[in-house]
Amino acid sequence: MANTFTRLARSLPFVFVFLPAVAHGQETAEEIIDRVDRILRGESSRGTATMEVVTEHWERSMTMKVWSLGTEYSLVRITAPKKEAGTATLKAGDEIWNYLPRVDRTIKIPPSMMMGSWMGSHFTNDDLVKESRLVEDYDIEIAYEGERDGVAVWEFDLRPKQEAAVVWGRIEYQVRKDDLMPTWARYYDEDGNLVRMLNFSDYRVMDDRLVPTVMTMRPEDKPDEHTTIRYRDLEFNIGLDESFFSLRALRSGGR
Amino acid sequence: MLSSGPWWRIGWRNLGRNRRRTAITAAGLAFGYLAVVVLIGWMDGLTAEMIESGTSTFASQLQVHDQEYRPERKIYDTIGGRDGADVYSLVREVAADPAIVAATPRVYAGGLVSSGESTTAGILIGIDPDLEPQVSKLLRSVIDGRSPRIDTREILIGVEMARQLGVGLGDEIILVVPAADGSMGNDLYSVSGIFRSGLAELDATYALMPIGSLQSLVVLSTDRVHEIAAATTDPWLATEAAARIAERLAPRELGIEIEPWTRLRPEMLDYAQLADAWNGVIIFIVFAIAIFGVANTMLMATYERRREFAVMLALGTSPFAIVRTVLAEALSLGAISLVLGALITTPIMFWFYKAPPDLGWFYGDYTFFGALIRPQLKVTLNPPMWVWTALALLLTAVLASLYPAARAARVPPADTLSGL
Repeated sequence: MANTFTRLARSLPFVFVFLPAVAHGQETAEEIIDRVDRILRGESSRGTATMEVVTEHWERSMTMKVWSLGTEYSLVRITAPKKEAGTATLKAGDEIWNYLPRVDRTIKIPPSMMMGSWMGSHFTNDDLVKESRLVEDYDIEIAYEGERDGVAVWEFDLRPKQEAAVVWGRIEYQVRKDDLMPTWARYYDEDGNLVRMLNFSDYRVMDDRLVPTVMTMRPEDKPDEHTTIRYRDLEFNIGLDESFFSLRALRSGGR
Repeated sequence: MLSSGPWWRIGWRNLGRNRRRTAITAAGLAFGYLAVVVLIGWMDGLTAEMIESGTSTFASQLQVHDQEYRPERKIYDTIGGRDGADVYSLVREVAADPAIVAATPRVYAGGLVSSGESTTAGILIGIDPDLEPQVSKLLRSVIDGRSPRIDTREILIGVEMARQLGVGLGDEIILVVPAADGSMGNDLYSVSGIFRSGLAELDATYALMPIGSLQSLVVLSTDRVHEIAAATTDPWLATEAAARIAERLAPRELGIEIEPWTRLRPEMLDYAQLADAWNGVIIFIVFAIAIFGVANTMLMATYERRREFAVMLALGTSPFAIVRTVLAEALSLGAISLVLGALITTPIMFWFYKAPPDLGWFYGDYTFFGALIRPQLKVTLNPPMWVWTALALLLTAVLASLYPAARAARVPPADTLSGL
């Protein structure tokens, strides 16, 4: 019954979003995480976001347009401030390319720089590649199921699969049971030390879909620093195809 | 004690009684002297080469930084903090120290170096093309092209980076660097030259460009630099020079640290000190072996002359005077050995010093503590060590003859003379 429903839910994401509480009977942890992923992404999406980066030395804010297709493709194009406008990042599979309008060139980020900061933020290039692949790279277990501050939640414990090329030793991930909304994720290094924390908040309906519209990443060793991404609008299932995510498209400048 | 009386003459003449034996023993001691002096010279040479290569390839013997700069090397921690400093007046002050040959400012940034489909992580270094060659050898290791010119977007990269990026002279390179204001500095540069330092890490990651060009790329004003590097006349003067410069610059209250290579690279200093300690061990081992050879010779010589000693004792010579003659003989032997040793050692040392034999055919260059070592038998000339070795040689001769001398002094006159 649950499996049939899951299949149905996958083919009808809109229906699914409005009936989430009914959905989870005896699902495995993997299935739940997979569904959370699908809600947040849809088949394809387009949105506008602002990113605010606060560090010890400077603060800055950027506005960007974001497109995605499935788990394999995404494209981010910065629209403000002026100095960075037009700068774009394309993720295609495992590769990340940056377009630099000032010199009109694209460069591919080498594997050794995947842990480097993305656009000076507290997110890494690796986050762009890996965020959508939790189910593939990690063994997931439900570490806690019950109430936290009066809200029914699952807490998942994600440990890298043996062959997975990931940088985290462990991830903890909390998801609200009622609406499958993620609330936070904690990233630990291989020695089990907390490295950074991602918080989700401001859950709002955008294009008929409930999503967390604010994500804040805080590095554990610098509590005064953070990066906050705020979605201003989001549309889902807009019928993009792979050609939209080509290098040529990256260069030509998106619309 | 040994300066007066006939004992010296007796000792000296006794050496002539069996000239072949004396010559062989003296040759043994002389060769010991040669071995010690050359071995120590070579080990000192190796240490000097390591320090020279480790400090002058790029790092230099003395560096000035903001106190916060090391070890994280953040782009914000420039000399004088956010306000920066009058860089060239600081450079002049550092260079004014008598032990400093030259000083030069540097700016560092880490970023991506890209060409076509290839991208690699690079350490970008802004240098003063006029001053830098007086401080480090990197700009003199250009194998193709030339150094970047000031006020241009030219870049000098290592041979390994050039290979990884597939670029040559005049080719275009894209740099992407997180700037000090949080933006992503990016610009096009052209390859003006390619260097080969021999150190894999430098050749693969270092990219040098005019200091102003890097400052504008990473949004630092021209009075903000991360380092002032200086070359000393002798690496061993760096520590004193650092103290003097610290004192001289203290009134400026810039919150800077002035570090000689001995503090920047403590492992190299440790090695140098260990090598020094080994000098003593070498002297000990070589002369400990020699001591038995000399003792054997002296035992033979005194045994052959036991009838003479018996006569001397019977005539009223004190046993102490017998000891003196034997010791005088040993010291004379030591003196002959020393002259012989100096005669064979000096030309060899000067030859190894002036034209060190190249063992390149035997094995290639190698790196040691991150310093490139050429496979040469290069020696350093260390006269105080020669004197110490000479004293050790004489001491060896005396120590080796103590037992034979004591034996000689206790020859029983009556029994010996009666042929027992």
